[in-house]
Amino acid sequence: MLDARIFKFKGAKPALIRLLLLTLLQALIIVVQGRYSSIMLTDLWKGHSLSLVPIPMGIFLIAFVLRQVLTVAKNYALAPFADQTTGELQQDLVKKYTEVGPSLIAKLGTGKAVSLAVEGIDQVHDYLSLVLVKLFDMSVIPWVILAYLAYLRWESALFLFFIYPVIVLFMVILGYAAQSKADREYDRFNRLSNHFIDTLRGLTTLKQLGLGKKYAHNIFDVSEDYRKATLSTLKIAILSTFALDFFTTLSIAVIAVFLGMDLLNGTLPLLPAMTILILAPDYFLPIRNFANDYHATLNGKNSLADIMDILALPEPDDQLVYQQKSPEWTQTDTLRLKNVSFTYPDAEKPALQHISLDLQGYQRVGLVGTSGSGKSTLLNLLGGFLIGQGAIEINQQSVPHLAQHDWQQDLQVLPQEPYLFHDTLRHNLAFYAPTVNDDDIMAVVEQVGLAAWFKTLPAGLDTVIGEGALQTSGGQAQRIGLARIMLDRKRRVVLLDEPTAHLDIETEMRLKETMLPIFDQRLVVFATHRLHWLAQMDWIIVMRDGMIVEQGTLSELLQQDGYFNELRAAMRGEEEHA
Amino acid sequence: MHKYWQLIKHDHWVFPYLKQYRGLLTLVLFLGTMTFFCGGALMFTSGYLISRSAQRPENILMVYAPIVLTRAFGIGRPSFRYVERLVSHNWVLKIVSRFRQRLYLIVEQGTKSIYAKAQTGEVFNVLANDLFKIENFYLRLLFPTIIGWLIYIVVTLVIGIFNPLTALLILLVLGLDTIMLPLITVAVRGARDYQQKQLERKLYTDLTDAVMGLQDWILSGRTDQLLTDQETDFHNIGQLQGKNSHFEWWRACVAESVLGLVVIILVVFATHTFGQGYLSVNWIAAFGLVVFPLSDAFVSISTGFGEWPRYADSIKRLNQLEQTSQTDAQDEVAQIEHPQNGPINFNQVTFYYQADTPVLTDINLTVQVGEHLAILGQSGAGKTTLLKLLLGDEQPQKGMITIAGVPVTALSQHRASLISVLDQKPYLFATTVANNLRLGNLQASDDVLWEALAKVQLKELVQQLPDGLDTPMTEAGKRFSGGERQRFALARILIQDTPIVILDEPTVGLDPITELAVLKTIFTSLTDKTIIWVTHHLTGVDLADEVIFIDQQGISLAGTPTELLQTSSRFAHLLALDRGDF
Repeated sequence: MLDARIFKFKGAKPALIRLLLLTLLQALIIVVQGRYSSIMLTDLWKGHSLSLVPIPMGIFLIAFVLRQVLTVAKNYALAPFADQTTGELQQDLVKKYTEVGPSLIAKLGTGKAVSLAVEGIDQVHDYLSLVLVKLFDMSVIPWVILAYLAYLRWESALFLFFIYPVIVLFMVILGYAAQSKADREYDRFNRLSNHFIDTLRGLTTLKQLGLGKKYAHNIFDVSEDYRKATLSTLKIAILSTFALDFFTTLSIAVIAVFLGMDLLNGTLPLLPAMTILILAPDYFLPIRNFANDYHATLNGKNSLADIMDILALPEPDDQLVYQQKSPEWTQTDTLRLKNVSFTYPDAEKPALQHISLDLQGYQRVGLVGTSGSGKSTLLNLLGGFLIGQGAIEINQQSVPHLAQHDWQQDLQVLPQEPYLFHDTLRHNLAFYAPTVNDDDIMAVVEQVGLAAWFKTLPAGLDTVIGEGALQTSGGQAQRIGLARIMLDRKRRVVLLDEPTAHLDIETEMRLKETMLPIFDQRLVVFATHRLHWLAQMDWIIVMRDGMIVEQGTLSELLQQDGYFNELRAAMRGEEEHA
Repeated sequence: MHKYWQLIKHDHWVFPYLKQYRGLLTLVLFLGTMTFFCGGALMFTSGYLISRSAQRPENILMVYAPIVLTRAFGIGRPSFRYVERLVSHNWVLKIVSRFRQRLYLIVEQGTKSIYAKAQTGEVFNVLANDLFKIENFYLRLLFPTIIGWLIYIVVTLVIGIFNPLTALLILLVLGLDTIMLPLITVAVRGARDYQQKQLERKLYTDLTDAVMGLQDWILSGRTDQLLTDQETDFHNIGQLQGKNSHFEWWRACVAESVLGLVVIILVVFATHTFGQGYLSVNWIAAFGLVVFPLSDAFVSISTGFGEWPRYADSIKRLNQLEQTSQTDAQDEVAQIEHPQNGPINFNQVTFYYQADTPVLTDINLTVQVGEHLAILGQSGAGKTTLLKLLLGDEQPQKGMITIAGVPVTALSQHRASLISVLDQKPYLFATTVANNLRLGNLQASDDVLWEALAKVQLKELVQQLPDGLDTPMTEAGKRFSGGERQRFALARILIQDTPIVILDEPTVGLDPITELAVLKTIFTSLTDKTIIWVTHHLTGVDLADEVIFIDQQGISLAGTPTELLQTSSRFAHLLALDRGDF
């Protein structure tokens, strides 16, 4: 139940010791409360007038209030530890993301990476505060009460002692039964519960098919199926709670009847009997509370394990191997890849095989090939976002991979779908050059052909864009990405991945004129399907199935009777000649 | 408080259902009340039982009734609770079925058949989450509150029979737990909730930005700033959550302590009322013990109320959504039952969103039956608007659009039998391949499906799937490439079998080779249909019979591809670019 890793957190031991002591004190207070309420009730039963019972009554009330205050005290005792630990975990997690980089996010999935840092951390916080309290309650309070009851009357205590494992056993058995049924139903359950969102997302398509209105019945029917599935699972799932409830309540009833018998026989006076009856529910209370939060326990433990696993990942510590001599990439600098291969985790086939290439100075390099031929993978490898095997040299310095700090500081990347931050247009555009002034920004907005769109914006450069704010089309996002590159004039290596895929041909032609000057004085690697760009490239790399099948200048490639010409013919719709 | 009251008064989403399903609701409340009643009664009879037994009556039959009752209540409490949980979930899920249908219809009304407004997955998640919130509103706030109040009233009434003054006292003291604390909770939480929502939202968007834009953060060397921002976010929200927890702890402490006071009041009352008689004295312990099992009923009211500001948000959003949608709804035009195929005609059509910037002006266009028309033009030139007008999603300010002489506004209800649409991102649903295809025609036989798959060259692929046509699309979907997905959607359209097909840039994002292959499949399989194909570059343009350019609100060029190649230098230039002639 308790994850051993908890003790390793700073301040865990003192916090848990404080919690243990407070729980122990609370257990004693509960016994006092039960004892004095029994004295009060027994005295009154004996016919004592109210004026004779203020002392037990007062002690009962004080104990009762003290018991509640101690609950608060336990929370206060644990809160600083829980807050501090989860706070640190949260920051360490985000820090880890930045250290390990996008490959970690790709592995986790963006949704999981975000939810782990928000909901996951909340669950750990619950685990470290709520669940620990309940766990300690369960491990301390029943046994203190039981010890006192044994002192009063060992037979009752024995009964309560033996019923405890029976309850746990039934809970576990029924819990497993419910779990296996739930597992069997899980797929159906999931499918039904996601059906609603799925349908909403596909509404445009449904409308096109003329099913918009008709589908409302389907929504209702599926929802009713979901209800039935839920209820049949629930019937079993809450059986374990029922078992717990049933045995505890019935135990109290049984105890009451047994006590009645003993009282009838005269083997027991009323006071201990009353005390046992009053304390019996408190004996069961901690396990009931704990069982109610069982899922919080599981979630908390799982999230903690997930987070700790990520934090245990090794940080790449070899990012400083490459030491750049000049402040930026120069005309004479070289990059050499020799026999570099890369395989995605879980993939059978390598995505890149035996890649060898030499890039130099301010070359413009075109990268062509069909979808899935490895162009994007190669760009990601050059950017240092993927780490493969093979020899890599920058300026004759051998480096283990391209996630080199100095290399990346000279790099600009325009991905197929540039990410737009939920921030103002100004901050989005000036992301790589936070200090540029608005005039420069506006000039670039004009150059990338966003001026007309800009005029429609409600707050100009202060307009917030990105997810959940003003929506942008794929073409607009690509042009914003391009503007980012244009605003940062220091970086000299540019990687572009089909930057015009979402644009119409005429817009693309206009944009081409503004883009070509950026390529001067820079090393450019440009992946594209649009062949007209190749006329402006100094060197062309042709890829197929993760391998480089041809490379050379355009005229060289055109003269060869190779894959490039075959590809070109296919793209032009001239398969018959190929 | 006032705004919450207004919200409840004007709500027509959440509260009307209480009335509509009142039978089951009453059952839920009865079962819930019985659960607590049995719990209290168990301790009550137990207290009496042992007190009476301690007087050592000569015959066990004297305590027979309390013995039986103790057992009965002991079994009754868990049983009632079990049934109550089932019935209350059943009740809530029944309403959710209605909710979903209603919500769907509202969203459906506001959705256009081409390019829905910025309705991203985000929006739908919000809606689904709102429904979830309302489920919890019923289960965690409404039911416990009503049940708590019922117990509160019953306890007061029972005492009132013996002693009205004590009843009044109990009414006041228990009122702290059942009325005062919930109100204080709403006031405190409501005041903080706005700030908390802001913070949570900021944390979430910042974190999404950090994760999704990680590559940019790293490349720009700005990760330190990122970490500082995150630290501030975490810190701020942590502080607020801390404040909330402290409030909750102390509120629970007060709520529980009040019950200690109630125990004393009941004991004093019982002693006064029953303390004199030999037999009646046994009731003192009964009254002294009855409160403890009831504490949950009272304390949980405040807990439920703590979440009210969030529930209120969801209720408000759903109500607003319905209002917006109602204003969106258009006037109904008399509909044609069985639309006929015929030439499409745009006559002097002018359309604008704002009068000073017209999108299309005086468009005249006729498309003959069986003609394949390609519409070219730059982004934003109005190509998609033209399609919206044809589909009746938008209506022109001037002019008229007809199919076989019938205005398209009179066709909207039965349009799907006349026009089908293949757009950039046709949606494939998370169900089987067969179900996805049958959306084109719900009565289609398996043979028809296979025939369509063969035409779009997917037959072999589907045959290789583990369950063939019955393979779920989502599991398989990850393996399908963009080109294959378009082919599936095309197969659906073949099954829909309408005389007119609209293609709205169906090959965006595909590489040129796949693009050409998909276009060839499209034009081969749809050869006898009227096709209107919007495209933004010229790959495969010679598959069309007729080409028009939309430019500066009008049609700037028109002709067959061969004609245009000879007569228009612009067309020739663009074609050369697209073909990559050097």
